[in-house]
Amino acid sequence: MSEQDNEAFETRSRALFQDSVDGLDMRIRSRLTQARSAALEAAQRRPSWWLGWKVWTPAAGVTAAAILGVVLWLGLPPGHQGGTVADAQTSFEDLDLVASSDEGSTDALDMLQDDIDFYSFADKAANSGPAA
Amino acid sequence: MARFDTLNTAWTVWDSPAPAPEGAVLEYTKELEKFLAEIERRAFRMAQVALRDPDDALDVVQDAMLKLTRNYAARPSPEWRPLFYRILENGIRDMQRRRTVRKKVMTWLPGPKEDPDNEAQDPLENVADAAPAIPERLMQAEAMEHLEESLRALPARQREAFMLRNFEGMDVAETASAMACSEGSVKTHYSRAVHALRAQLGEVW
Repeated sequence: MSEQDNEAFETRSRALFQDSVDGLDMRIRSRLTQARSAALEAAQRRPSWWLGWKVWTPAAGVTAAAILGVVLWLGLPPGHQGGTVADAQTSFEDLDLVASSDEGSTDALDMLQDDIDFYSFADKAANSGPAA
Repeated sequence: MARFDTLNTAWTVWDSPAPAPEGAVLEYTKELEKFLAEIERRAFRMAQVALRDPDDALDVVQDAMLKLTRNYAARPSPEWRPLFYRILENGIRDMQRRRTVRKKVMTWLPGPKEDPDNEAQDPLENVADAAPAIPERLMQAEAMEHLEESLRALPARQREAFMLRNFEGMDVAETASAMACSEGSVKTHYSRAVHALRAQLGEVW
């Protein structure tokens, strides 16, 4: 098979193919025209990408925040789940008491250290049981 | 490259809040229409060579047109042709896979056989062709039928390389882009395809 024979084969097959393209019947031509029109119409209806971006980004943000909230809520230890508003308020007040400083003492923790004798006594009394 | 600038400008305008000027959109649509009109018949015949059935070939071509205009219209126009043929070839393979699955399923399911007489007739189907059927033309049609059969017998990549290089007239670089492979692979596939076709058609041609 020489190079020249290959070229002749290529030329002939190309010519035959082109003849078959030129000889397409009206039904096929008509349907191809319809397909082209439909494709171009779809291209013209295509929404601009920035519009989609602007619409969907806030929605995606809100959804992501909601999912994160649910995950955090469900991920808390069992003792912290389902707590009431009153519980949360009490905890906050305790923290506030410990963190705040009273007059006469520089730190609330100092106050606890001052009464260490009292706490030792109370502990012994509780362990010794009721007095006879 | 003035027309590419026009296209890019059109799509840059789309990115801004202001609506695209009608002239830019029209220009872009005209360019696409010209491209599709130029390519559609050859694309259909190539799909028909691979799939045999004209309706399946039409479906695949229509799908490729839609995908190109929806997803790749913003690309520079020289990229359209390789992109279009890559989409088309993917469509052809999908169609062939679907057929294989359908065939397997249908062998297990009892049901009515397809009756070709019940299909709706297109009135345009009965319109006579412009060119009369002369012996020379019949011989050409027969030779083309032999070529189509031989092409169908080739491995898909060889068939694709041959049709894109020979029928569509793409150069090696464009064909490589359409086939998503190296230029060396295109040359190998094409050369093997030509040898295989000549070996098969030697007696007939």
